[in-house]
Amino acid sequence: MSDAAAQPMLEVRDLQVRVGGQIVLKGVSLAVRAGEVHAIMGPNGSGKSTLAYVLAGKPGYEIVSGSVSFEGRDLLALAPEERARAGLFLGFQYPVEIPGVNNAYLLKTALNAARRERRLPELDAFEFLALVRSKTQLMHIDESFLGRGVNEGFSGGEKKRNEILQMLVLEPKLSLLDETDSGLDIDALKVVANGVNSLRSPERCIVLVTHYQRLLDHVVPDFVHVLARGRIVRSGDRTLALELEKRGYDWITEQAAA
Amino acid sequence: MSVPATAVRASILDRVLRDFASVAGGLPGDAAARARAAARLTELGWPSVRDEQWRYANLRAFEHLGAFRPAAGGTLDTELPAAVPGFERLIYLDGVQITGHHRLQDEPAADNSVASHVWPAEQRLGLLCDMFASDAARLTVRGEAAIEILFVSSGRAGAGAVYPRLQLQLQPGSHLRLIERHLGHAAAPALVACNLTVELGRAAALTHYRLQQYGHDTVFADTLWARLAEQARYTVRSVAVGAGTARTSALVQLAGRAAALAWQAIAVGRGEQVHDIALKVEHSAADTSTEELFRGIADERARVAFSGHIHIAASAPGSQARQSLRGLIEGAGAEIDLRPRLEILTDEVRAVHGATTGRLDEDLLFYMLARGIDRQTARALLKWAFLSDVLREIELPGLRAEAERLAAGQLQDVLAVGALS
Repeated sequence: MSDAAAQPMLEVRDLQVRVGGQIVLKGVSLAVRAGEVHAIMGPNGSGKSTLAYVLAGKPGYEIVSGSVSFEGRDLLALAPEERARAGLFLGFQYPVEIPGVNNAYLLKTALNAARRERRLPELDAFEFLALVRSKTQLMHIDESFLGRGVNEGFSGGEKKRNEILQMLVLEPKLSLLDETDSGLDIDALKVVANGVNSLRSPERCIVLVTHYQRLLDHVVPDFVHVLARGRIVRSGDRTLALELEKRGYDWITEQAAA
Repeated sequence: MSVPATAVRASILDRVLRDFASVAGGLPGDAAARARAAARLTELGWPSVRDEQWRYANLRAFEHLGAFRPAAGGTLDTELPAAVPGFERLIYLDGVQITGHHRLQDEPAADNSVASHVWPAEQRLGLLCDMFASDAARLTVRGEAAIEILFVSSGRAGAGAVYPRLQLQLQPGSHLRLIERHLGHAAAPALVACNLTVELGRAAALTHYRLQQYGHDTVFADTLWARLAEQARYTVRSVAVGAGTARTSALVQLAGRAAALAWQAIAVGRGEQVHDIALKVEHSAADTSTEELFRGIADERARVAFSGHIHIAASAPGSQARQSLRGLIEGAGAEIDLRPRLEILTDEVRAVHGATTGRLDEDLLFYMLARGIDRQTARALLKWAFLSDVLREIELPGLRAEAERLAAGQLQDVLAVGALS
């Protein structure tokens, strides 16, 4: 293993975050290396989505202490768009609808912004269409969706598939997927899982934020962390997720509180 | 020393009447009708911002006008937009027809309500045009037609005022697509006072595209009255970006059973522009319907106001009214005033109204930033999206492109990032 590979791509150290006067993350530490898939699980209100939002740079979250580095850069010093262009992708739990902004236009603008950052030539309309077509097929998304407003009138499942489509087109180094499995039926879950798996590679890492372990049957994580009351209270391999599925979260949060 | 508002109003009215007295004898057409209009304006007085209907109008702009007499001697010194395929074009220069086949008849028929409409107090600026206009686009439509009317102000218009006038009658069952465009020489500091009267016969349909793109030194007073007979349909798609001060006073009467109005409008202001639209819809027959869609953006120090007053009379059971009014404040000194008002005097009515004013939605902005799109582009795309509800309803591709170009011209960041492409 080379030195570079040994360094975490994402390193969160003792992160404390305040939202609306309350400390929601109380010292979270996490190291994710290239090629790894991590799952962050936890009960509702444990701070999972807060962690995802803070990493992506959503305004309204106050960093009380701690640090986050991404490929050696201070992630918290970057604006949200700079984080995205650096290779971080947030798959939203509740993707917004933006009527009037064309899906394909958004995606092409985003892709070309990322390509400029990587000093690659921008794609023209034909090249873009060829690229995006192959991804829509993989995600079982009708091509006509590209011509519609972003997520406009999409069902919950379609919105989630559209998030993964965007991820596949943008090819981020770090994908943070916030409850991407929620609201999906079993067929849609498989499609989404296939999409996520297609992006697994030694150069990328994926962090799945999820309440349930069923996604993890299809996207098998290397590590599982349990976030409860703002702290990672236990880490393990995929068997931890199976145990949580059997026993729920109470035992582990009680142990942590004891 | 400050001058009392009543004195200012009296002095504007005095100037209007003085100019009228000096030119009335030389104006063509029905002198008695002009005199009646002058008498009525005298009786009503000049409007005041203390009146609710005029509260957001920039009446102060009228104080700075040089003259109310009609401009004369202008030449066509403005670049005209490309023709719209399938539409017959009529051009009016400084309110007088210079091209097109539909020629004015000087005297309106006595029973012609579109020519003899009496403006109510909230539309009293319509009287200016009745007093001073020397020509009219007077159209009677049978069957199907597609007409584009360009009202163009010349560089000479500043020496006087411009009075475009359109009187339109659709015979029962007829169908008209009408493009009405207002444009002018950039350096024409003038009053443009425009009157439109529209009468739709039984089951007639009018789709009316309105594009207003005067220069920022123009004061535009726009007065519209329409009456719809049974099953008539009137669709207005309006894009207002021009004039330093623009006031639309519109009254639509749904007089026949199942008459329907759709009013879809955008106004985009920047600099010191004031756009004020007051639309009153009167439902007086059963099963009538109104759908209002307004999107306004105020950038820099602009003010945009929309008053949507829908009155559903006791004689109009089964009526429907839907209002969706949204304003976007972009500038630190900008202002948006949206006033939905439903007045319902009967049961069995379905009415929905919503009015929201605010800044760009932070969640939408964050979503785009999280995709790596820079802040300026994201903001421009969202502003553009805000107008899309109305712009996408313009189904004529060339005209929609023109409307988009005009709207984008008001939003410099939209142009800069090429959100139009």
